[in-house]
Parts: sequence; C-alpha cells; structure tokens
Amino acid sequence: MRPKLGVPIVLATVVGLALLVPRFGGDYYVHVFALVFTNVILAASLRPSLTCGQLNIGHSAFMSIGAYTSALLAKNLAVPFEISLVCGALLAAAVGLAIGYPSLRLRGVYFAMVTVAFVEVIRLIAQLWVSLTRGMSGLSGIPKPSILGMTLTTRASQYYLVLGLTLVILLVLWKLEHSRLGLIWKSIGLGDNLAQSLGVDIARHKLLAFMLGCFFAGTAGAFYAHFIRFLFPPEFGFLMATNILVYNYVGGRGHFVGPVVGATFLSLLSEPFRGSPYETIFFSIAMLLTILFLPGGLITLPRKLAELRWWRTASSPTPSPAA
Amino acid sequence: MTPALFVQSAIIGVSLGSIYILMALGLTLMFGMMHIINFAHGAVYMLGAFVIYYVFFQGGMPYFVAFVASMVLLGIFGYLVERSIYRPIKGGIEPTLVALLALTTFLQAAGYPVFGQLDKHVPPVFPGTRNILGVGISIERLMIIPVAAALVIGLYLFINNTRLGAAMRAIEQDKEAAALQGVNVHVVNGLAFAIGFALAAASGALMAPIFKLDPMMGEQPLLKAFIIIILGGLGSIPGAILGGLMLGLIDSIVATALGAEPAFLLSFVFIIMLLLFRPTGLFGYAS
Repeated sequence: MRPKLGVPIVLATVVGLALLVPRFGGDYYVHVFALVFTNVILAASLRPSLTCGQLNIGHSAFMSIGAYTSALLAKNLAVPFEISLVCGALLAAAVGLAIGYPSLRLRGVYFAMVTVAFVEVIRLIAQLWVSLTRGMSGLSGIPKPSILGMTLTTRASQYYLVLGLTLVILLVLWKLEHSRLGLIWKSIGLGDNLAQSLGVDIARHKLLAFMLGCFFAGTAGAFYAHFIRFLFPPEFGFLMATNILVYNYVGGRGHFVGPVVGATFLSLLSEPFRGSPYETIFFSIAMLLTILFLPGGLITLPRKLAELRWWRTASSPTPSPAA
Repeated sequence: MTPALFVQSAIIGVSLGSIYILMALGLTLMFGMMHIINFAHGAVYMLGAFVIYYVFFQGGMPYFVAFVASMVLLGIFGYLVERSIYRPIKGGIEPTLVALLALTTFLQAAGYPVFGQLDKHVPPVFPGTRNILGVGISIERLMIIPVAAALVIGLYLFINNTRLGAAMRAIEQDKEAAALQGVNVHVVNGLAFAIGFALAAASGALMAPIFKLDPMMGEQPLLKAFIIIILGGLGSIPGAILGGLMLGLIDSIVATALGAEPAFLLSFVFIIMLLLFRPTGLFGYAS
C-alpha cells in the first residue's frame, strides 16, 4: 500500500519545492536550477535511446542544432519563441534521422563512434559558418523567451517556463516508457535478435527512440539559447556529450528517475567548480566510482544501504524477493 | 595545386597516415579480443607526448631513451587499466566503454593542473629538410615513416610467430575455448591493453616534436582513429593500415587545398556514405 501513496507524495514535494525556488532563492539559485532542469531534459531524453542499447555519445550535437536554429530564427527573422523552439527541435530530429538511418544498422560500438565524430562535425560547422553563426566570436543578442507575444523578462518567469517544459517532457517520456512502445524498446535492449524474431521492427523503433531524444535535446538547446543568450560552438563539444551520458549512468539505468536523479545530483554538486578543470575531474571520478562500486547507479543506493543494515542486524539473512 | 605541392602533401600524408595507423592498430587489436573501444586512446597519445616533453626536453635524456620510456610507462599503465577497470567490470561492454570515457575525461582534465595551462613545445629532434623529388620535406616528418613501419612489422611478427601472439589470436576467435586450452585470458587481455597503450604512446611520442602539446591534443587523433577503424572494419589489422594511409592522404592533400576542418568534414561524410553501402567497413565482417 505504501508505494501507492508514497510516489505521489514524493512527486508533489519535489514539484512543490521546485515551484518555491524563485520565491526563496535569489537570482543565482534560479539560474542554477534552470540549468539543472535543462540537464534533466537532456539526460532523460537520452534514456529511450540507451534503453534500446544504443550508446549515443553525441547528444550535445543535437542540443547545439536546436540552440542555433532557434536563436538564429528569433534573432534574424524575429520568429516568435514558441515557433523557433519547435523549429529547433524539429531540425534536431530531422538531422537525427539523417545520421541515425545509416548508423542504425551498425553494431553498438560503431554507433558510439559515429555519434562521437558527429559532435565534432556539428562543432566544426558552427565554428566555420561564420556568416551565419559568427563562429568563434560567439552568437550574442539572442532575444529572451516569450509566450504569446509576452516577453519573459525576469529570471523567475524563465525559470517557470523551463520547469513547465521539463515536467511536460518527463511526463511524455514516462508515458512512452510505460506504453507498448517502451516495452518494445526494452525488448530490443535486452536482445535485439530475439525481439526481431518476435516480429519487432527493430530498426524503425531504434530510429524512433533516437529521433525522439534528438527532438527533446533540440528543445533543451533552444531554451538554453534564449536563457543564456550567448552561444559558443565549443560549449556543445565532446565534454557536454559525455556529461549527458554520465548523468544516466551515475543516476542509474534501471529506472525512469535515474537520469533525473543523476543530472540533478551531478549538476548541483559540480556547481562550485563550474568552468574549472576540477568540474570534469570531479565528474569523471564520480563516474568511475559509480561504475565500479555501484553499477546500478545512485537510485540503487537506498536499497544497498538497507541491505547492508539488514545483513548486520539479522542473523540468518535471506535475499528479499523484491531485489 | 602544383605538382610539387601535391608530392609534398602526399609524402606528409603518408607520414601522418603512419601516426594514424599506430593509433588505429591498438584500437582494432583491443576490439578484436575484447569487443571494446578504448576511448582513452587519445589521452594515452597525449601522455606519450608529455613523457617526451619531460624526459627528453626537461630531463635532457636522448630522444631514443625517452621514446622507449614513453612506450614502456604507458604500456604498464595499460596493463594497470586492464586490472583495475576492465577486469572488475567482468566483460560488460557498455559499462567498460563508459568507464574508459570517464578515464579519458579524467586524464584530460587532470592534465591542466598537472602540466600547466600553457601549451608546451618540444624542440626538433631531427632538424632540417631533405629534398625528395624536387620538394623539401622536414626530416622530422620523414623519420616517422620507418619508425612506424618497424613497429607495425614488429607487431605483425609478434602476433603471428610467438606463443603469446597465438594466445591473442585464440582469444579473438573464441575466448572460452582459449581459456579451456589453458590460455590465461586475463593476462593476455592485459597484454593487449599494454600493447595498445604503448602504440598510442609511440604515436604521441613521434608527434611531440611536430605539434604543440596540451591536454586535449589527443582528441583529434582519436577521432581520426575512429574514422579509420570504421573505414577499415573493426578488428581488421590490414583494414587499419589501409584506412590509416587513406585518411592520412585525404587529411594532408585536402587540408592543403581546402584547410584542415573541411578535410575532417569530408572524411566524416565519406564514412557515412560508406556505412550506407557497407556497414562493416571495407575489411570488416559481420559478427
């Protein structure tokens, strides 16, 4: 009975706390948490692809496409924010299709290598196409986000926007994961030959998971562009792509909340080191320790601790059936 | 492009290709045996170059000694990585890849506080140029070709003519069967890690007097090596050699004509096209 009540209570508490951030925290915390939510979207949107057994190490490239598309449309053509955001996300998904289609027939490691190289391709294009993106000078003067013609000038209103976006995207991803489609993705990840033999069109479903991730990564990128209002090609490099993957593994692959926990935990914990090499050092150590000592990720930590205590107190331990 | 410029960039392309081949060989060897991609290969290349900086330039030792030291030290490091990362994960491919990714970012990021923020330079080991077919080529770049060729031939002889080499081939064919025949799979995998790391260190050590040194210097060669093994087919040694030469030539000739970045973009477009028609690369085989 407890979990049935427990889940909504935890959910309501988290959302409630998130709603209260602008009221009690200053602009600094609003800024930090808005970026945490961007990372949550990125991490969670990688999950369907990972569930299908595709090691995508190129997610930041699609974020970059969404960011540049939306920023340029809004800045140069005065396209309203809602439309430029959707265009950014759609273009990211379309590019995802173009890259995903030839790569999907590949075994896992080939796919990982293609996505790594693709991050570099997108970075180079953003860097070299100076007349469009201003290259290494960086793209500035991006308009603030607006809704129905009203510009969101305060940090707090932009924070509520990204909170809303995050909740909607998480809901969509959660619904998908618990639908028939989610089961199909899971079956592909567990054994694609077996899934195929049962009549699953694995290529199409893998491509769908990949494109869906690209779409939401593009959405996160578009918000980021109008929130930070400055885009610089190397920001969306290999390091960012690795971080998105790291959020998933440190949080835990076994449950939907894994990437959410991982992105929140690591983004907040690394905040004091931001911009210095120590941020990456910290990230990579967290990553290695998790892989080696907590293979299920942070979400398995409570159970591990509970098991530990249980082992100490009980004289004749029997494995819990829930495990 | 004048004929002289073409000849010059073709020779530089072969020299560049030799470096790529050394990088790709280690990757393809480790993939063949363990089905993993060593994402840390670029960081090892970087460390190999820094060993040259400290032992040869700062320490004043002969270049040859520094070169051997670079290969030996990173070979030992490779063995330790097998023991402390690959072995505890017990063959899980995806966790291993992510752990190696973490190791890469750790080594790169730790490079800044350890080696300093400024780019490092190693003075030329073989100064001067040599006239070949009417064009001047720096001897530094020329020397790479015989050294790399010697290492490739050495590796080939080792794999084909020694007991340990036979053990490596056995693991590549069937790990369980090799273990049943008495091959110590852990030790031989460790050896493959050591050889792969030593070859990456050798390419870094050869490039140290030519390029500037910084903690991120390994990223480009790693991406090139990825493209090469996709091109040549994972696990294929001839594929890695042919792919390395092709990419070296593309990189040098196209880069001379159009610039380095378009050369990279072009090679990427090339592999995407190739993958559409031959998903396992030129020499690869379906698993």
